Amino acid sequence: MTVSIGAKFGNSFERWFERHLRVLMLAPAMLVLLTLTIFPSIYMIIAAATRISPNPDLPWQFAGADNFLRLLTDEQFHVGLWNTMVFTVFAVGTEFLLGLGLALLLDRYIRRLNFLKTILMLPMMLPPVAVAITWKLIYEPQFGVLNEIMFRLGLPLQAWAGDVRLAMFSVIVADVWQWTPFMFLLMLAGLASLPDEPYEAAAIDGASAWRQFWDLTLPFLKPVIAIALLLRIMDALRLFDLVFILTGGGPADRTKTLSLYIYQVAYRFADPSYAAAISLFVLFTTVAFSTWFIKRMRLAD
Amino acid sequence: MVRRFLFSVVFALSSLMATHAWADITMLVPSGSEGDGLRAAAADYAKLKGTKVEIVQAPYSNVFEQAANAGQTKSGAFDIVLMDDPWIPFFAENAHLEDLTPYFKKAGLEGPDSDFLSKSLAICRNPYNTGPYVCLPYVGNAQMFFYDAAKFKEAGIEAPKTWDDVLKAAKALSEKGGGRYFGYVFRGGQGNPVVADFMPIFWSYGADMFNGDRTKVTIDTPEGAAAMKTFMALRDVSPKGVESYNANEVGQALAAGTAASSINWPNWVATFEDPSQSKMVGKISYSPIPAGTKPGSSEIGHWTMGIMAAAKNKQEAFDFMLWATSPEQMKISAERGNPPVRKSIFTDASLTSQEKFRHYPVLMQAIEASTPRPRHPKWPEIENAFGIELSKAVAGTETPQEALKRSQAAVEEITGIK
Repeated sequence: MTVSIGAKFGNSFERWFERHLRVLMLAPAMLVLLTLTIFPSIYMIIAAATRISPNPDLPWQFAGADNFLRLLTDEQFHVGLWNTMVFTVFAVGTEFLLGLGLALLLDRYIRRLNFLKTILMLPMMLPPVAVAITWKLIYEPQFGVLNEIMFRLGLPLQAWAGDVRLAMFSVIVADVWQWTPFMFLLMLAGLASLPDEPYEAAAIDGASAWRQFWDLTLPFLKPVIAIALLLRIMDALRLFDLVFILTGGGPADRTKTLSLYIYQVAYRFADPSYAAAISLFVLFTTVAFSTWFIKRMRLAD
Repeated sequence: MVRRFLFSVVFALSSLMATHAWADITMLVPSGSEGDGLRAAAADYAKLKGTKVEIVQAPYSNVFEQAANAGQTKSGAFDIVLMDDPWIPFFAENAHLEDLTPYFKKAGLEGPDSDFLSKSLAICRNPYNTGPYVCLPYVGNAQMFFYDAAKFKEAGIEAPKTWDDVLKAAKALSEKGGGRYFGYVFRGGQGNPVVADFMPIFWSYGADMFNGDRTKVTIDTPEGAAAMKTFMALRDVSPKGVESYNANEVGQALAAGTAASSINWPNWVATFEDPSQSKMVGKISYSPIPAGTKPGSSEIGHWTMGIMAAAKNKQEAFDFMLWATSPEQMKISAERGNPPVRKSIFTDASLTSQEKFRHYPVLMQAIEASTPRPRHPKWPEIENAFGIELSKAVAGTETPQEALKRSQAAVEEITGIK
């Protein structure tokens, strides 16, 4: 009797298990997604619409759109937004041009020189914190290697990260150093996948190298360029580590990015509601830009 | 297979729980000598009393973040937090800290004993010097003026007593230095660094951020302008790039012998007197902050121990704090490199006779003449706003007058005091 009940239970469990197998397989992934993405997102939206006091005994107050309206008059937010845009345009632009240029130059040779590829990839593999500390030491005005070279060449010493005219440039250079290899690798992969026939036909027709680049290489590379730019732009809009270590947002607020400002508001000023509002602004702007960019570049096709 | 997997999970979870649950007291401390000192003391306490003390060590700014987060969420993650003193109003006025009065009573004490320096105790009360104790002082930091006496003598100043003396010597030394040696160096980095190095000068000229009863912001005043004038003159004789300097760069400049003077914290004494890190062993002199139009005043920067309101083991935490701040333990702490907060240790002949403690008389004097950073729960925000304007003045993107005016407006906006 006991055996038959056990067997009956076993059979029904097996049937239930088979029926729900797909759900069960998906459950862990869904749980992770729910915990790490959906819950924080909902929490952030709620936080942005409330006023959270640092005092745990005070209740949260509904703030409506107040935190978002504050964005319109907050000078520091405007400074952060402007600096983030300047950084993104110049850093990503330079990385793209250098990456493409290097890929075109080295396309033929790099296949034979694998060690060169490895060396070029090294900066990209370093943690951003290590990159920032390295450049901080390079830029150090009194003991840094850059000023030592300037001194030996008889050139005027510079406060690379401390001069208002040079600070953003210095941050961009460090970022370009780290992320040009990423552009280079993507462009190289794109170039390697190009068909030979159109080039042979163009050569027979007498097209110059420039003409071939403009009319063949660039259009063929367009999807790769679009994806590379999209990834780098989204990353540049989140710039934090480099400025946090290299300049702390200074001098005179010249390198304060939106991510750095969000960090300050959330953790230094203990105002998570306003930090959530700025974060949502950044999130929606990035999503809107990416959607527009994907449509514009016809990546969906 | 399943049984083995479950066993592994249970084992891993119980190991995790064991490491946390067994801690009688959990402490959040900063990286660096202050945190290292308390970590060592905790190990001694564990051996002596059998209490397990767990230390969570984090970089300076993360200590504030983690403590604020624990306080705001009442997580009870930490029993004790080693706090920088300007954070006290934020933690105390937002109900993150335990009032220590009942614990003193239970121990049969009125409060901390009279061997503690009065200024060290004043900061541990909230409101300042009048309210109940919300912490106990542990590391007696106050800024001092560091200078190369031989170089200053060369420049015609025997021992600088005023900022005018400093300027005179610094100007002569920088002019002679040819862009490789400077008479003065300071922390000009935006935010906390530039504010920390400006405040003592600000006070030396009789200026302050608020009036006595905190009903008016008083940055943009003739006193503030006089302080700013000296600050800008000091900038002009400092190295290029001070706009991004923090304590490390300033300390290294003095240790390497590329700058003759600066304001800095006493923990740099150990570096200056260590031949493996300094070219200036025995050559740096220490003095209290020079005077302006008023007597000089150091910025106090004590590290203090407070019990979190949501702490799980408050009584054990208080017992540890009393033990760690006793004269015997404070002497051990001093030997480990942290300045004390007790008179008896500052004047202990067995310490002051040693070269590495020769700055103790000056440091005690500096603490006694120190001023706390403006006591306001929104100090981090105030410091940030003031630091931006000072950074702009140092970088030359706005005039000193504009910087004062805009600082005044920004602090009024943040505090709501008009």
